Amino acid sequence: MTLPPDLVAVLPLVAAVLAAIAVLLVDLALPGRRTAVVLTALVALGVVAFAAVAVGGEERVAFGGAYTVDALTTFLHVLFVAIIALTITFAPDYLVPRALPVGEFAVVLIFAMTGAMLLAASTDLLLLFLGLELMVLPGYMLAAFHKSDGYSTEGAIKYFLLGSFSSAIFLFGLAFVWGLTGSTRVADVAGALGAFAAGQGTLSAGLAMGLAFMTTGVAFKIAAVPFHYWTPDAYQGSPTPITGYLSVGPKVGAFALILRLFVEAMGGLRADWLPVVIVLAAVTMTLGNLVALTQNNVKRMLAYSSIAHTGYMLLGLAAWAAGRMEGLEGLLYYGAAYSFMNLGAFAVVAALQKRTGVTSNLGTFAGLGRREPLLGVLMTLFLLSLTGIPPTAGFFAKAYVILAAVQAGGAVAILAVIAVLNAAAAAFYYLRVVVYMFMRDSETDAPAVAHGRLLWGGLAAATALTILLGLIPGPLLEVVGRAARAIG
Amino acid sequence: MNVSGIPILSIVTFLPLLGAVLVAALPRGAARPVALGTALLTWVVSLILLIGYVPRPDFQFVETLDWIPLFGIQYKLGVDGLSLILVVLTTTLMWISILASFRPIQERIKEYMVSFLILEVGMVGVFLALDTFLFYIFFEIVLVPMYLIIGIWGGANRIYATIKFVLYTLVGSLLMLVAILATAFAYQAQTGSWRGAFDLTVLSNTTFDPALQIFAFLAFFLAFAIKIPMFPFHTWLPDAHVEAPTAGSVILAGILLKLGGYGFMRYAVPFYPDAAQTFAPAIIVLSLIGIIYGAIVALVQPDLKKLVAYSSVSHMGFVTLGIFVFTEQGLQGAILQMVNHGIITGGLFLLVGVIYERTHDRTIAKMGGLAGATPVYAAVFGFFVFASVGLPGLSGFVGEFLTLVGAFDFSPLVATVATFVMILAAGYLLWMFQRVATGDVSDFLRGLGHHLTDMRPVEILTLAPLAALVVALGLFPGLVLELIGGSVGSVLGGVAEAGPIRFALWP
Repeated sequence: MTLPPDLVAVLPLVAAVLAAIAVLLVDLALPGRRTAVVLTALVALGVVAFAAVAVGGEERVAFGGAYTVDALTTFLHVLFVAIIALTITFAPDYLVPRALPVGEFAVVLIFAMTGAMLLAASTDLLLLFLGLELMVLPGYMLAAFHKSDGYSTEGAIKYFLLGSFSSAIFLFGLAFVWGLTGSTRVADVAGALGAFAAGQGTLSAGLAMGLAFMTTGVAFKIAAVPFHYWTPDAYQGSPTPITGYLSVGPKVGAFALILRLFVEAMGGLRADWLPVVIVLAAVTMTLGNLVALTQNNVKRMLAYSSIAHTGYMLLGLAAWAAGRMEGLEGLLYYGAAYSFMNLGAFAVVAALQKRTGVTSNLGTFAGLGRREPLLGVLMTLFLLSLTGIPPTAGFFAKAYVILAAVQAGGAVAILAVIAVLNAAAAAFYYLRVVVYMFMRDSETDAPAVAHGRLLWGGLAAATALTILLGLIPGPLLEVVGRAARAIG
Repeated sequence: MNVSGIPILSIVTFLPLLGAVLVAALPRGAARPVALGTALLTWVVSLILLIGYVPRPDFQFVETLDWIPLFGIQYKLGVDGLSLILVVLTTTLMWISILASFRPIQERIKEYMVSFLILEVGMVGVFLALDTFLFYIFFEIVLVPMYLIIGIWGGANRIYATIKFVLYTLVGSLLMLVAILATAFAYQAQTGSWRGAFDLTVLSNTTFDPALQIFAFLAFFLAFAIKIPMFPFHTWLPDAHVEAPTAGSVILAGILLKLGGYGFMRYAVPFYPDAAQTFAPAIIVLSLIGIIYGAIVALVQPDLKKLVAYSSVSHMGFVTLGIFVFTEQGLQGAILQMVNHGIITGGLFLLVGVIYERTHDRTIAKMGGLAGATPVYAAVFGFFVFASVGLPGLSGFVGEFLTLVGAFDFSPLVATVATFVMILAAGYLLWMFQRVATGDVSDFLRGLGHHLTDMRPVEILTLAPLAALVVALGLFPGLVLELIGGSVGSVLGGVAEAGPIRFALWP
């Protein structure tokens, strides 16, 4: 029996939904057996990843061009699965002591992943929007996961209100583009804008508005300054593993949207959106870093620093728009590197908060190097990687987007200089955590807590990836190269 | 000696890493012997390298491995005379520093030794790397252990000092990263291939267009000027030195500052000779200011360590002066000055550490009469002070003398100004020595009673090799000059053909 080609193309999505259902059923059938739930989730995610790779073996177009499986799709699918799997490994240490359900957490997370996967493969404007919403709706739920906690619900409401607001704005812009190009298919939109790609054609008022609205909507989703105000509260209020996911998953997802929309569909208009991206990137990385400098709460600090990292990724986008393919490759590499190092850092924060009542204030980290040396060393590694010190993933990713920006020249090269100066400023607040961990003594004599094997497994994976992507970037470079060529 | 087939450079670079892993894995008690053993072994390997080295202008023992073929980035190591002499200096100071830390460091000894050994990996790697990307990685790796060494085992104000150190260095080095990438891309744009875009030898033989040269040189200059440090980028240095533990200061002054000088000679000048010629006058002026300023400020320092730190600013001014006059003697002098400063200032910091360990104070005003109380200490201290002053016959003299000869060829005025500073140097060093060592034993020292002991055998053991080197290099500077002849020639060869860029591109 051969499956219809359309169904083959969406097999990874089907597998993802089935995975969520399987976890749900296991949770129902074996109440209280957290290990079983987590293991089911991990195995199921492995199957999803396998399906994604197997289906991605060749390029497929399904549902009349609305759904495309190309190298970019596969890369993003695998990345999403990795993000979710890592998040699930370090979540129980935080959730269990607070009596938060692990099973539901895993299920909602996998549903969010399904949305992100749909987003990554969509080549139709409406489907893109559908994927986006499917990705962020579970995110709102997750933000409010600790429903008895005031901060969690407050952050979730802010996240929800601004999120739906921005979705509406985005949809509004989408309608303009649809109206003026006559199609929602990415390929047709790109074709209709072909005149622009050839360097002629003037931007009509309607198209300009569509572009502006969509840029605004997307800027909200990636938390670019000045559309970032929801981030710190949502990040600080959410339970730590969820913050880790929110700072990575929806961000990479939103960049997937950018790639499909701004690069693939509206790449023809790049001359028109490039200046906006340059300004957005410069403001985003600078303000994100400046505000992060003054934070005393590590979660909040990481939230602002994630805004800065958005800026670095936008640098890659700007380099592409200025004509360098390396920009897209850099963006994708950065996305992967950022995911692993940031999740690693959040895993350490979650591990520290295993004891309930422990805040994520800087003081929590005082004396960690003496109390739990291994956690201290790993946190240092992730923070160095986030700073961009070699030989880590963060360093190579930064070097790569900078290389692309330098090649692009002009304003984008100046943006690269702004980016490295920002990176130096960021060193201050990342290293401050190291100061607390190794150079100050703990105020309380809290004994070390035992951490689950699962957490160590997740940390080991994040550590290995953070180091390997820095030392041996070759293999991933090939993958992102293929992914970038698929759309650029 | 034939060592082909054995990756001896990789061994000398990564042996300390192996030691660091061992120290981390073994119990606390093993940390000191294992660290010292590793450092000694690395030293021996570097000496084998020294014996096997044949003075030639090209790089030897070259190891090449494609690392990121997509961009032609290689894992490429090699030595010439310049890097060899600095590697040996590193490995020598390293075991001395580790030995000197045995007593003063009692807290977190494992972490301390691991930091030192990783530091050694970075420093040796910087001197051996023949690929700009690899060089940058080693250059940055150095930062992290030094940050920890100052921040964890430093003095009262250590956190301020260490963060200042990191931020200063990082600003410079990140801009250098942009320059490295821009240079590689410029090469790729010229030749159409990434092959060799990060290769030191290839890039040294490539001529880049003036605009790139100006900007890339300025970025490299900033990185190295902060590292060496040149006036006005020196302000991190006194803080870092005062707060760092003794061995940290030794390595900081002995090796880390040399990364800047090495970078100028190996990268900034050969890559962008026209830009180097363009900015040379300005850099020479800054060097002179640094030489004078460092000496004057050292004159009024109340703290022994701060005095030595500022004297470093002055001494390193001679290095940049020697490099940028672009004469043979100047460059030879600069290299000798780097080596000698590493040995002498390393010794001085060790000696300050010795007295600090007994008195827990470094205030010059509180000292006095050490010659009577601790004669051996005073004698050794006096020896290094005279070496630092530049007494003929000791090594400090040769480097400064050659630099001045080189500077005289360039401009008699510059040489005259710099020569006068040597009198200032004699002033601040000898005055300090007079206050500390001569006269009656001060009340403060008398109050210490039996705590004020003379030097212990281990302390003598750490200083004896340095003293021997001071004499040996003072009497036979030819030993070094012969080694570095090829390197000096290749640096000069490139820059001699270059001319300053007209500032047409500046409006």
